[in-house]
Amino acid sequence: MPRKVAVVAGGLSYFSKARRDKTQEELAAEAARMALFDNDINLSKDDIDGTIVSYFSDHFENQLLFGSIIQDYLGFNPKPSVRIEGGGATGGLAVRDAYAHVASGLLDVAMVIGFEKMSEVNTAKGNEFIALASDTDWDFPIGGFYSGYYALMAKRHMEEFGTTEEQMAMVAVKNRNNAQHNKFAQTNPKMNPFGMKDGGKITVDDVLKSPYVAFPLKRLDICLMSDGAAVLILASEEKAKKITDTPIWITGTGAGTDAMRAGDRPRTLSGVPILPHEKKEWYKNLEYPGVHSFRAGRESARQAYKMAGITNPLKQLDLIELHDAYTSSEIQTYEDLGLTKYGQGGKLIEEGVTALDGELPVNPSGGLIGTMHAVGATGVMQGVEMFWQLQGVAGKFHGSDKTQIKNAERGLIHSHAGTGTYVTATIMER
Amino acid sequence: MTEVYSIDPLIIKTPYEITYKHSYGKTSRFFTALSSGKLMATRCEHCKTTFLPPRSDCPYCLAETKWVEISGKGKIHTFSTLYFSGERFLKDLPFQLVYVDLEGVDTLFLTRLKTKDMKKVKVGMKIRMKISRDPEWRSSDVWAELDE
Repeated sequence: MPRKVAVVAGGLSYFSKARRDKTQEELAAEAARMALFDNDINLSKDDIDGTIVSYFSDHFENQLLFGSIIQDYLGFNPKPSVRIEGGGATGGLAVRDAYAHVASGLLDVAMVIGFEKMSEVNTAKGNEFIALASDTDWDFPIGGFYSGYYALMAKRHMEEFGTTEEQMAMVAVKNRNNAQHNKFAQTNPKMNPFGMKDGGKITVDDVLKSPYVAFPLKRLDICLMSDGAAVLILASEEKAKKITDTPIWITGTGAGTDAMRAGDRPRTLSGVPILPHEKKEWYKNLEYPGVHSFRAGRESARQAYKMAGITNPLKQLDLIELHDAYTSSEIQTYEDLGLTKYGQGGKLIEEGVTALDGELPVNPSGGLIGTMHAVGATGVMQGVEMFWQLQGVAGKFHGSDKTQIKNAERGLIHSHAGTGTYVTATIMER
Repeated sequence: MTEVYSIDPLIIKTPYEITYKHSYGKTSRFFTALSSGKLMATRCEHCKTTFLPPRSDCPYCLAETKWVEISGKGKIHTFSTLYFSGERFLKDLPFQLVYVDLEGVDTLFLTRLKTKDMKKVKVGMKIRMKISRDPEWRSSDVWAELDE
Protein backbone atom coordinates (compact mmCIF):
# COMPACT_ATOMS: atom_id res chain seq x y z
CA MET A 1 0.00 0.00 0.00
CA PRO A 2 1.36 3.46 -0.86
CA ARG A 3 1.81 5.82 2.10
CA LYS A 4 -0.29 8.97 2.45
CA VAL A 5 1.60 12.00 1.17
CA ALA A 6 1.14 15.68 2.05
CA VAL A 7 2.43 18.96 0.75
CA VAL A 8 3.88 20.89 3.70
CA ALA A 9 5.53 23.99 2.21
CA GLY A 10 5.87 26.04 -0.97
CA GLY A 11 7.87 28.97 -2.28
CA LEU A 12 8.12 31.07 -5.43
CA SER A 13 10.54 33.56 -6.92
CA TYR A 14 9.34 36.73 -8.58
CA PHE A 15 8.71 35.97 -12.25
CA SER A 16 9.94 38.17 -15.04
CA LYS A 17 10.68 38.19 -18.75
CA ALA A 18 14.34 38.54 -17.75
CA ARG A 19 15.74 38.12 -14.23
CA ARG A 20 19.21 39.32 -15.17
CA ASP A 21 19.87 40.17 -11.52
CA LYS A 22 20.27 36.49 -10.62
CA THR A 23 21.59 33.21 -12.05
CA GLN A 24 19.31 30.20 -12.39
CA GLU A 25 20.64 28.65 -9.17
CA GLU A 26 20.20 31.96 -7.34
CA LEU A 27 16.55 32.03 -8.49
CA ALA A 28 16.09 28.48 -7.17
CA ALA A 29 17.54 29.61 -3.83
CA GLU A 30 15.04 32.51 -3.75
CA ALA A 31 12.12 30.06 -3.98
CA ALA A 32 13.71 27.46 -1.66
CA ARG A 33 14.30 30.08 1.01
CA MET A 34 10.63 31.08 0.91
CA ALA A 35 9.53 27.43 1.13
CA LEU A 36 11.72 26.76 4.16
CA PHE A 37 11.43 30.05 6.05
CA ASP A 38 8.14 31.78 5.12
CA ASN A 39 5.73 28.87 5.66
CA ASP A 40 4.50 28.09 9.17
CA ILE A 41 6.42 24.83 9.58
CA ASN A 42 8.61 22.93 11.96
CA LEU A 43 11.21 21.81 9.41
CA SER A 44 14.88 22.55 8.80
CA LYS A 45 16.80 22.19 5.58
CA ASP A 46 18.61 19.16 6.99
CA ASP A 47 15.26 17.32 7.28
CA ILE A 48 14.99 17.17 3.48
CA ASP A 49 15.89 13.60 2.44
CA GLY A 50 16.30 14.22 -1.29
CA THR A 51 15.31 16.41 -4.22
CA ILE A 52 13.41 16.15 -7.49
CA VAL A 53 14.79 18.74 -9.89
CA SER A 54 12.43 20.01 -12.57
CA TYR A 55 13.66 21.86 -15.65
CA PHE A 56 12.86 21.56 -19.34
CA SER A 57 15.68 22.71 -21.55
CA ASP A 58 19.43 22.30 -21.64
CA HIS A 59 19.50 24.76 -24.56
CA PHE A 60 18.40 27.95 -22.82
CA GLU A 61 21.45 27.98 -20.54
CA ASN A 62 23.75 25.83 -22.71
CA GLN A 63 24.51 23.77 -19.62
CA LEU A 64 23.90 20.04 -19.29
CA LEU A 65 23.40 18.40 -15.89
CA PHE A 66 22.11 21.60 -14.33
CA GLY A 67 20.43 19.48 -11.66
CA SER A 68 23.83 18.79 -10.15
CA ILE A 69 24.60 22.50 -9.96
CA ILE A 70 21.28 23.07 -8.15
CA GLN A 71 21.81 20.17 -5.74
CA ASP A 72 25.24 21.56 -4.86
CA TYR A 73 24.17 25.21 -4.75
CA LEU A 74 21.33 24.50 -2.32
CA GLY A 75 23.60 22.31 -0.19
CA PHE A 76 21.88 18.94 -0.54
CA ASN A 77 24.91 16.79 -1.42
CA PRO A 78 25.34 13.81 -0.95
CA LYS A 79 21.58 13.13 -0.72
CA PRO A 80 19.67 11.56 -3.63
CA SER A 81 18.40 13.71 -6.50
CA VAL A 82 16.80 13.08 -9.87
CA ARG A 83 16.04 15.35 -12.79
CA ILE A 84 12.56 15.17 -14.36
CA GLU A 85 11.90 16.47 -17.88
CA GLY A 86 8.69 16.30 -19.86
CA GLY A 87 8.32 19.51 -21.88
CA GLY A 88 5.64 21.84 -20.54
CA ALA A 89 4.50 19.12 -18.12
CA THR A 90 7.93 18.91 -16.51
CA GLY A 91 6.68 20.50 -13.28
CA GLY A 92 3.56 18.35 -13.01
CA LEU A 93 5.58 15.21 -13.67
CA ALA A 94 8.10 16.29 -11.01
CA VAL A 95 5.37 16.79 -8.39
CA ARG A 96 3.96 13.36 -9.32
CA ASP A 97 7.44 11.84 -9.08
CA ALA A 98 7.99 13.39 -5.66
CA TYR A 99 4.63 11.92 -4.62
CA ALA A 100 5.81 8.49 -5.82
CA HIS A 101 9.14 8.84 -3.98
CA VAL A 102 7.38 9.62 -0.70
CA ALA A 103 4.43 7.23 -1.16
CA SER A 104 6.82 4.36 -1.81
CA GLY A 105 8.97 5.13 1.22
CA LEU A 106 12.09 5.98 -0.79
CA LEU A 107 12.06 9.46 0.75
CA ASP A 108 10.28 10.78 3.85
CA VAL A 109 10.64 14.46 2.99
CA ALA A 110 11.23 15.50 -0.63
CA MET A 111 11.86 18.92 -2.12
CA VAL A 112 10.73 19.60 -5.71
CA ILE A 113 12.83 22.36 -7.27
CA GLY A 114 11.45 23.78 -10.53
CA PHE A 115 13.15 26.51 -12.54
CA GLU A 116 13.84 27.88 -16.00
CA LYS A 117 15.75 30.87 -17.29
CA MET A 118 14.56 31.57 -20.82
CA SER A 119 15.87 35.09 -21.28
CA GLU A 120 19.46 34.38 -22.32
CA VAL A 121 18.46 33.89 -25.97
CA ASN A 122 16.22 36.22 -28.00
CA THR A 123 12.47 35.49 -28.16
CA ALA A 124 12.54 34.04 -31.71
CA LYS A 125 15.40 31.71 -30.76
CA GLY A 126 13.51 30.80 -27.58
CA ASN A 127 10.46 29.92 -29.67
CA GLU A 128 12.75 27.84 -31.89
CA PHE A 129 14.13 25.93 -28.89
CA ILE A 130 10.59 25.22 -27.72
CA ALA A 131 9.71 24.16 -31.29
CA LEU A 132 12.53 21.59 -31.06
CA ALA A 133 10.13 19.90 -28.63
CA SER A 134 7.97 19.11 -31.67
CA ASP A 135 8.86 16.58 -34.39
CA THR A 136 12.02 18.01 -36.00
CA ASP A 137 11.88 15.68 -39.04
CA TRP A 138 8.36 16.64 -40.12
CA ASP A 139 6.60 19.43 -38.24
CA PHE A 140 9.42 21.87 -37.46
CA PRO A 141 11.13 22.18 -40.91
CA ILE A 142 8.02 23.68 -42.56
CA GLY A 143 8.11 26.59 -40.11
CA GLY A 144 6.18 24.98 -37.31
CA PHE A 145 6.29 26.43 -33.83
CA TYR A 146 4.04 26.11 -30.85
CA SER A 147 1.74 29.07 -31.36
CA GLY A 148 1.19 27.78 -34.90
CA TYR A 149 0.38 24.25 -33.73
CA TYR A 150 -2.08 25.56 -31.12
CA ALA A 151 -3.63 27.90 -33.67
CA LEU A 152 -4.33 24.93 -35.96
CA MET A 153 -5.96 23.07 -33.07
CA ALA A 154 -7.91 26.16 -31.97
CA LYS A 155 -9.24 26.69 -35.50
CA ARG A 156 -10.41 23.08 -35.61
CA HIS A 157 -12.09 23.52 -32.21
CA MET A 158 -13.89 26.58 -33.60
CA GLU A 159 -14.90 24.64 -36.72
CA GLU A 160 -16.05 21.57 -34.78
CA PHE A 161 -17.86 23.30 -31.90
CA GLY A 162 -18.42 26.96 -32.76
CA THR A 163 -15.93 28.31 -30.21
CA THR A 164 -15.23 32.02 -30.83
CA GLU A 165 -12.26 34.38 -30.61
CA GLU A 166 -14.30 36.44 -28.10
CA GLN A 167 -14.59 33.43 -25.77
CA MET A 168 -10.84 32.90 -26.01
CA ALA A 169 -10.27 36.58 -25.23
CA MET A 170 -12.37 36.20 -22.07
CA VAL A 171 -9.89 33.59 -20.80
CA ALA A 172 -7.00 36.03 -21.34
CA VAL A 173 -8.85 38.78 -19.49
CA LYS A 174 -9.70 36.50 -16.56
CA ASN A 175 -6.17 35.19 -16.09
CA ARG A 176 -4.35 38.43 -16.75
CA ASN A 177 -6.63 40.34 -14.39
CA ASN A 178 -6.35 37.68 -11.65
CA ALA A 179 -2.57 38.16 -11.89
CA GLN A 180 -2.97 41.81 -10.92
CA HIS A 181 -3.56 40.60 -7.33
CA ASN A 182 -0.52 38.30 -7.24
CA LYS A 183 2.80 39.95 -6.48
CA PHE A 184 4.80 37.16 -8.17
CA ALA A 185 3.11 37.75 -11.54
CA GLN A 186 5.13 38.91 -14.52
CA THR A 187 2.25 41.05 -15.85
CA ASN A 188 1.83 42.83 -12.49
CA PRO A 189 4.12 45.90 -12.52
CA LYS A 190 2.43 47.41 -9.44
CA MET A 191 3.35 44.58 -7.05
CA ASN A 192 6.24 42.75 -8.77
CA PRO A 193 9.50 44.74 -8.82
CA PHE A 194 10.49 42.77 -11.95
CA GLY A 195 7.04 43.04 -13.59
CA MET A 196 6.63 44.09 -17.21
CA LYS A 197 6.08 47.79 -17.72
CA ASP A 198 3.22 47.30 -20.19
CA GLY A 199 1.46 44.87 -17.81
CA GLY A 200 -1.71 45.62 -15.87
CA LYS A 201 -5.38 44.88 -16.49
CA ILE A 202 -6.76 44.20 -19.96
CA THR A 203 -10.17 44.05 -21.64
CA VAL A 204 -11.68 41.71 -24.24
CA ASP A 205 -11.24 44.54 -26.73
CA ASP A 206 -7.51 44.77 -25.94
CA VAL A 207 -7.13 41.06 -26.67
CA LEU A 208 -9.13 41.20 -29.90
CA LYS A 209 -7.13 44.20 -31.11
CA SER A 210 -3.73 42.72 -30.23
CA PRO A 211 -1.81 41.55 -33.31
CA TYR A 212 -2.21 38.02 -34.67
CA VAL A 213 0.73 35.73 -33.94
CA ALA A 214 -0.92 32.77 -35.65
CA PHE A 215 -4.57 33.11 -36.65
CA PRO A 216 -6.81 32.72 -34.62
CA LEU A 217 -4.37 33.35 -31.74
CA LYS A 218 -3.31 36.89 -30.92
CA ARG A 219 -0.48 38.16 -28.78
CA LEU A 220 -2.67 38.42 -25.66
CA ASP A 221 -4.05 34.88 -26.16
CA ILE A 222 -0.57 33.47 -25.62
CA CYS A 223 1.30 32.68 -22.41
CA LEU A 224 4.42 34.39 -21.14
CA MET A 225 8.05 33.28 -21.37
CA SER A 226 9.66 33.70 -17.98
CA ASP A 227 12.65 33.43 -15.73
CA GLY A 228 11.94 32.10 -12.27
CA ALA A 229 11.68 29.21 -9.83
CA ALA A 230 9.16 27.35 -7.67
CA VAL A 231 9.76 24.95 -4.77
CA LEU A 232 7.38 22.49 -3.12
CA ILE A 233 8.08 20.25 -0.12
CA LEU A 234 6.28 16.91 0.27
CA ALA A 235 6.30 14.62 3.29
CA SER A 236 4.99 11.27 4.47
CA GLU A 237 1.92 11.31 6.78
CA GLU A 238 4.01 10.66 9.87
CA LYS A 239 6.48 13.46 9.09
CA ALA A 240 3.86 15.87 7.75
CA LYS A 241 1.90 15.85 11.02
CA LYS A 242 5.06 16.90 12.88
CA ILE A 243 5.96 19.58 10.32
CA THR A 244 2.62 21.41 10.13
CA ASP A 245 -0.88 21.53 11.65
CA THR A 246 -2.36 22.05 8.16
CA PRO A 247 -0.87 19.50 5.77
CA ILE A 248 -2.44 19.44 2.29
CA TRP A 249 -2.92 15.86 1.11
CA ILE A 250 -2.29 14.55 -2.38
CA THR A 251 -5.28 12.26 -2.88
CA GLY A 252 -5.08 11.50 -6.58
CA THR A 253 -2.72 11.73 -9.49
CA GLY A 254 -2.91 10.74 -13.13
CA ALA A 255 -0.77 11.02 -16.24
CA GLY A 256 -1.63 10.67 -19.92
CA THR A 257 0.23 10.77 -23.22
CA ASP A 258 -0.42 11.26 -26.92
CA ALA A 259 1.38 11.32 -30.27
CA MET A 260 4.08 13.99 -30.70
CA ARG A 261 2.60 14.89 -34.09
CA ALA A 262 -1.00 15.85 -33.35
CA GLY A 263 -1.95 14.76 -36.89
CA ASP A 264 -1.07 11.16 -36.01
CA ARG A 265 -3.74 10.98 -33.31
CA PRO A 266 -6.79 8.85 -34.03
CA ARG A 267 -10.14 10.25 -35.08
CA THR A 268 -12.33 7.52 -33.67
CA LEU A 269 -16.08 7.61 -33.15
CA SER A 270 -16.95 6.75 -29.52
CA GLY A 271 -13.27 7.14 -28.66
CA VAL A 272 -13.72 9.43 -25.66
CA PRO A 273 -12.61 7.94 -22.32
CA ILE A 274 -15.84 8.48 -20.39
CA LEU A 275 -15.83 10.03 -16.89
CA PRO A 276 -18.24 8.78 -14.18
CA HIS A 277 -20.70 11.66 -14.68
CA GLU A 278 -20.75 11.37 -18.49
CA LYS A 279 -22.75 9.23 -20.91
CA LYS A 280 -21.13 7.45 -23.83
CA GLU A 281 -23.91 8.50 -26.21
CA TRP A 282 -23.01 12.20 -25.75
CA TYR A 283 -20.00 11.61 -27.98
CA LYS A 284 -21.15 8.93 -30.40
CA ASN A 285 -20.78 11.33 -33.34
CA LEU A 286 -17.54 12.97 -32.21
CA GLU A 287 -14.28 11.99 -33.93
CA TYR A 288 -11.85 11.82 -31.02
CA PRO A 289 -9.34 13.14 -30.12
CA GLY A 290 -8.43 14.49 -33.57
CA VAL A 291 -6.58 17.77 -33.27
CA HIS A 292 -9.33 19.57 -31.31
CA SER A 293 -9.06 17.77 -27.95
CA PHE A 294 -6.33 16.51 -25.64
CA ARG A 295 -6.78 12.81 -25.01
CA ALA A 296 -3.79 12.85 -22.63
CA GLY A 297 -5.53 15.49 -20.51
CA ARG A 298 -8.70 13.44 -20.36
CA GLU A 299 -6.77 10.29 -19.45
CA SER A 300 -4.80 12.05 -16.68
CA ALA A 301 -8.04 13.43 -15.20
CA ARG A 302 -9.80 10.08 -15.42
CA GLN A 303 -7.03 8.42 -13.37
CA ALA A 304 -6.77 11.24 -10.82
CA TYR A 305 -10.57 11.37 -10.29
CA LYS A 306 -10.73 7.61 -9.84
CA MET A 307 -7.94 7.66 -7.25
CA ALA A 308 -9.46 10.60 -5.34
CA GLY A 309 -13.05 9.33 -5.62
CA ILE A 310 -14.29 12.26 -7.68
CA THR A 311 -17.44 11.53 -9.66
CA ASN A 312 -18.52 15.08 -10.51
CA PRO A 313 -15.51 17.43 -10.86
CA LEU A 314 -17.52 20.66 -11.29
CA LYS A 315 -19.24 20.04 -7.94
CA GLN A 316 -16.42 18.37 -6.03
CA LEU A 317 -13.52 20.66 -6.90
CA ASP A 318 -13.24 24.14 -5.37
CA LEU A 319 -10.56 25.50 -7.70
CA ILE A 320 -8.22 24.51 -10.51
CA GLU A 321 -4.79 25.69 -11.61
CA LEU A 322 -4.41 24.53 -15.22
CA HIS A 323 -1.85 24.91 -18.00
CA ASP A 324 -3.22 27.89 -19.98
CA ALA A 325 -0.41 28.01 -22.55
CA TYR A 326 -3.07 29.49 -24.84
CA THR A 327 -6.55 30.81 -24.18
CA SER A 328 -7.81 28.14 -26.58
CA SER A 329 -6.10 25.36 -24.64
CA GLU A 330 -7.73 26.50 -21.38
CA ILE A 331 -11.11 26.11 -23.09
CA GLN A 332 -10.10 22.73 -24.52
CA THR A 333 -8.88 21.65 -21.07
CA TYR A 334 -12.23 22.51 -19.40
CA GLU A 335 -13.67 19.77 -21.61
CA ASP A 336 -10.84 17.27 -21.08
CA LEU A 337 -11.25 17.67 -17.31
CA GLY A 338 -14.98 17.03 -17.65
CA LEU A 339 -16.06 20.41 -16.26
CA THR A 340 -18.48 20.57 -19.16
CA LYS A 341 -19.33 18.48 -22.24
CA TYR A 342 -16.89 18.39 -25.15
CA GLY A 343 -17.69 21.39 -27.30
CA GLN A 344 -19.12 23.49 -24.45
CA GLY A 345 -15.82 24.90 -23.07
CA GLY A 346 -16.38 28.31 -24.64
CA LYS A 347 -19.77 28.61 -22.93
CA LEU A 348 -18.19 27.85 -19.53
CA ILE A 349 -15.96 30.95 -19.67
CA GLU A 350 -18.82 33.00 -21.12
CA GLU A 351 -21.07 32.08 -18.16
CA GLY A 352 -18.39 33.10 -15.66
CA VAL A 353 -18.19 29.63 -14.10
CA THR A 354 -14.36 29.77 -13.99
CA ALA A 355 -14.07 33.40 -12.84
CA LEU A 356 -12.55 34.28 -9.46
CA ASP A 357 -16.10 34.57 -8.04
CA GLY A 358 -17.53 31.75 -10.16
CA GLU A 359 -18.66 28.26 -9.22
CA LEU A 360 -15.23 26.76 -9.99
CA PRO A 361 -12.45 29.37 -10.25
CA VAL A 362 -9.72 28.41 -12.73
CA ASN A 363 -6.26 29.95 -12.48
CA PRO A 364 -6.84 32.37 -9.62
CA SER A 365 -3.02 32.80 -9.61
CA GLY A 366 -3.13 34.31 -13.11
CA GLY A 367 -1.81 31.12 -14.73
CA LEU A 368 0.67 31.01 -17.57
CA ILE A 369 -0.98 33.96 -19.32
CA GLY A 370 -0.93 36.33 -16.36
CA THR A 371 1.76 35.09 -14.03
CA MET A 372 4.52 33.00 -15.54
CA HIS A 373 5.70 30.23 -17.81
CA ALA A 374 9.24 29.43 -16.73
CA VAL A 375 8.72 25.93 -18.08
CA GLY A 376 10.29 23.66 -15.41
CA ALA A 377 8.87 25.85 -12.64
CA THR A 378 5.32 26.06 -14.03
CA GLY A 379 3.75 22.82 -12.78
CA VAL A 380 5.53 23.28 -9.44
CA MET A 381 4.15 26.83 -9.18
CA GLN A 382 0.65 25.36 -9.60
CA GLY A 383 1.37 23.03 -6.67
CA VAL A 384 2.58 25.96 -4.55
CA GLU A 385 -0.50 28.02 -5.45
CA MET A 386 -2.87 25.15 -4.68
CA PHE A 387 -1.08 24.50 -1.37
CA TRP A 388 -1.43 28.14 -0.28
CA GLN A 389 -5.06 28.27 -1.44
CA LEU A 390 -6.05 25.14 0.50
CA GLN A 391 -4.19 26.37 3.59
CA GLY A 392 -6.08 29.67 3.23
CA VAL A 393 -2.87 31.73 3.11
CA ALA A 394 -2.84 32.74 -0.59
CA GLY A 395 -3.59 36.33 0.36
CA LYS A 396 -0.60 36.56 2.66
CA PHE A 397 1.76 35.32 -0.04
CA HIS A 398 0.15 37.15 -2.97
CA GLY A 399 0.08 40.45 -1.12
CA SER A 400 -3.70 40.76 -1.72
CA ASP A 401 -6.70 38.89 -0.32
CA LYS A 402 -8.63 39.09 -3.60
CA THR A 403 -7.26 35.82 -5.02
CA GLN A 404 -8.01 33.64 -1.96
CA ILE A 405 -10.85 31.23 -2.76
CA LYS A 406 -12.97 31.12 0.42
CA ASN A 407 -13.13 27.78 2.24
CA ALA A 408 -11.37 25.93 -0.55
CA GLU A 409 -11.05 22.27 0.42
CA ARG A 410 -10.13 20.41 -2.75
CA GLY A 411 -8.39 21.44 -5.96
CA LEU A 412 -6.79 20.11 -9.11
CA ILE A 413 -3.48 21.05 -10.72
CA HIS A 414 -3.00 20.27 -14.41
CA SER A 415 0.34 20.30 -16.23
CA HIS A 416 0.59 19.92 -20.02
CA ALA A 417 3.39 19.38 -22.55
CA GLY A 418 3.76 19.69 -26.31
CA THR A 419 0.48 19.72 -28.18
CA GLY A 420 -0.88 17.51 -25.40
CA THR A 421 1.85 14.86 -25.51
CA TYR A 422 2.31 14.50 -21.74
CA VAL A 423 -0.34 15.71 -19.31
CA THR A 424 -0.63 15.26 -15.54
CA ALA A 425 -3.53 15.94 -13.19
CA THR A 426 -3.11 15.89 -9.42
CA ILE A 427 -5.75 16.35 -6.71
CA MET A 428 -4.86 18.13 -3.48
CA GLU A 429 -7.11 18.29 -0.40
CA ARG A 430 -7.18 20.01 2.95
CA MET B 1 37.34 38.71 -27.73
CA THR B 2 34.34 38.14 -25.51
CA GLU B 3 31.52 40.55 -26.22
CA VAL B 4 30.27 42.23 -23.05
CA TYR B 5 26.52 43.06 -23.00
CA SER B 6 26.34 44.67 -19.55
CA ILE B 7 28.65 45.43 -16.63
CA ASP B 8 26.23 45.27 -13.67
CA PRO B 9 25.26 42.50 -13.56
CA LEU B 10 28.08 41.27 -15.80
CA ILE B 11 26.51 39.74 -18.92
CA ILE B 12 28.67 38.24 -21.68
CA LYS B 13 27.66 36.97 -25.12
CA THR B 14 28.56 33.42 -26.21
CA PRO B 15 27.82 32.21 -29.79
CA TYR B 16 27.16 28.50 -30.40
CA GLU B 17 27.05 26.61 -33.69
CA ILE B 18 26.71 22.93 -34.46
CA THR B 19 26.18 20.65 -37.49
CA TYR B 20 24.26 17.40 -37.10
CA LYS B 21 24.60 14.46 -39.53
CA HIS B 22 20.98 13.33 -39.27
CA SER B 23 19.81 10.02 -40.77
CA TYR B 24 16.22 9.58 -41.96
CA GLY B 25 16.80 5.84 -41.61
CA LYS B 26 14.17 3.70 -43.34
CA THR B 27 11.97 6.73 -44.03
CA SER B 28 14.68 8.02 -46.41
CA ARG B 29 12.63 6.56 -49.25
CA PHE B 30 9.97 9.24 -48.80
CA PHE B 31 12.54 11.86 -49.83
CA THR B 32 14.25 9.86 -52.61
CA ALA B 33 10.84 8.99 -54.16
CA LEU B 34 10.01 12.69 -54.42
CA SER B 35 12.74 13.07 -57.07
CA SER B 36 10.75 10.74 -59.35
CA GLY B 37 7.59 12.71 -58.64
CA LYS B 38 6.08 10.14 -56.29
CA LEU B 39 4.43 10.86 -52.95
CA MET B 40 4.83 7.81 -50.73
CA ALA B 41 3.21 6.85 -47.44
CA THR B 42 3.56 3.67 -45.38
CA ARG B 43 0.84 1.12 -44.68
CA CYS B 44 0.47 -1.52 -42.03
CA GLU B 45 -0.96 -4.61 -43.75
CA HIS B 46 -1.95 -6.01 -40.37
CA CYS B 47 -4.27 -3.24 -39.15
CA LYS B 48 -4.73 -1.51 -42.54
CA THR B 49 -3.59 1.91 -41.30
CA THR B 50 -1.75 4.25 -43.70
CA PHE B 51 0.67 6.77 -42.25
CA LEU B 52 2.00 10.07 -43.51
CA PRO B 53 4.50 11.14 -42.19
CA PRO B 54 5.66 7.60 -42.88
CA ARG B 55 6.36 5.23 -40.00
CA SER B 56 8.55 2.21 -40.68
CA ASP B 57 6.90 0.37 -37.80
CA CYS B 58 3.18 0.45 -36.99
CA PRO B 59 2.54 1.93 -33.54
CA TYR B 60 -0.63 -0.16 -33.15
CA CYS B 61 0.78 -3.58 -34.15
CA LEU B 62 4.56 -3.06 -34.17
CA ALA B 63 4.45 -4.77 -37.56
CA GLU B 64 6.79 -3.48 -40.28
CA THR B 65 4.94 -1.26 -42.74
CA LYS B 66 5.04 -1.24 -46.55
CA TRP B 67 5.47 1.72 -48.90
CA VAL B 68 2.43 2.78 -50.92
CA GLU B 69 2.05 5.60 -53.43
CA ILE B 70 -0.69 8.13 -52.70
CA SER B 71 -2.49 10.59 -54.97
CA GLY B 72 -1.62 13.73 -53.02
CA LYS B 73 -5.21 14.95 -53.27
CA GLY B 74 -7.07 15.93 -50.17
CA LYS B 75 -8.94 18.49 -48.10
CA ILE B 76 -8.00 21.14 -45.53
CA HIS B 77 -8.80 19.85 -42.03
CA THR B 78 -7.72 23.07 -40.30
CA PHE B 79 -5.43 26.02 -41.08
CA SER B 80 -3.54 28.90 -39.51
CA THR B 81 -1.81 31.98 -40.87
CA LEU B 82 1.47 32.64 -39.08
CA TYR B 83 2.80 36.13 -38.45
CA PHE B 84 5.59 35.00 -36.12
CA SER B 85 7.79 31.88 -36.00
CA GLY B 86 11.01 30.36 -34.81
CA GLU B 87 14.14 32.32 -35.73
CA ARG B 88 15.03 30.51 -38.94
CA PHE B 89 11.60 31.00 -40.55
CA LEU B 90 11.12 34.70 -39.77
CA LYS B 91 12.15 35.52 -43.36
CA ASP B 92 9.17 33.53 -44.74
CA LEU B 93 6.45 35.40 -42.80
CA PRO B 94 3.53 35.54 -43.18
CA PHE B 95 2.79 31.97 -44.29
CA GLN B 96 0.03 29.40 -43.82
CA LEU B 97 0.13 25.98 -42.21
CA VAL B 98 -2.57 23.37 -42.79
CA TYR B 99 -3.43 19.91 -41.58
CA VAL B 100 -4.51 18.09 -44.72
CA ASP B 101 -6.72 15.02 -44.84
CA LEU B 102 -5.23 13.13 -47.81
CA GLU B 103 -6.95 10.45 -49.89
CA GLY B 104 -5.85 7.00 -48.77
CA VAL B 105 -4.10 8.26 -45.63
CA ASP B 106 -5.44 7.76 -42.10
CA THR B 107 -3.31 10.40 -40.35
CA LEU B 108 -3.46 14.15 -40.92
CA PHE B 109 -0.40 15.68 -42.61
CA LEU B 110 0.99 19.03 -41.50
CA THR B 111 2.32 21.12 -44.37
CA ARG B 112 2.45 24.62 -45.78
CA LEU B 113 -0.35 25.89 -47.98
CA LYS B 114 0.97 28.10 -50.75
CA THR B 115 -1.64 30.44 -52.20
CA LYS B 116 -1.69 34.03 -53.40
CA ASP B 117 -4.92 34.77 -51.55
CA MET B 118 -4.56 33.59 -47.95
CA LYS B 119 -7.83 35.30 -46.95
CA LYS B 120 -10.02 32.97 -48.96
CA VAL B 121 -8.75 29.76 -47.34
CA LYS B 122 -11.43 27.72 -45.55
CA VAL B 123 -11.69 24.37 -43.79
CA GLY B 124 -12.86 21.69 -46.23
CA MET B 125 -11.29 23.21 -49.37
CA LYS B 126 -9.72 20.75 -51.81
CA ILE B 127 -5.94 20.74 -52.10
CA ARG B 128 -3.27 18.93 -54.09
CA MET B 129 0.25 18.23 -52.81
CA LYS B 130 3.14 19.69 -54.79
CA ILE B 131 6.74 18.51 -54.89
CA SER B 132 9.78 20.80 -55.04
CA ARG B 133 12.06 20.49 -58.08
CA ASP B 134 14.91 21.82 -55.98
CA PRO B 135 15.06 19.44 -53.00
CA GLU B 136 16.33 20.48 -49.59
CA TRP B 137 15.73 16.91 -48.30
CA ARG B 138 13.35 18.25 -45.67
CA SER B 139 9.60 17.98 -45.13
CA SER B 140 9.38 21.44 -46.71
CA ASP B 141 10.09 19.71 -50.08
CA VAL B 142 6.33 19.11 -50.28
CA TRP B 143 3.47 21.55 -49.76
CA ALA B 144 -0.22 21.96 -50.54
CA GLU B 145 -1.88 24.19 -53.13
CA LEU B 146 -5.59 24.82 -53.56
CA ASP B 147 -7.05 22.41 -56.16
CA GLU B 148 -9.41 24.70 -58.06
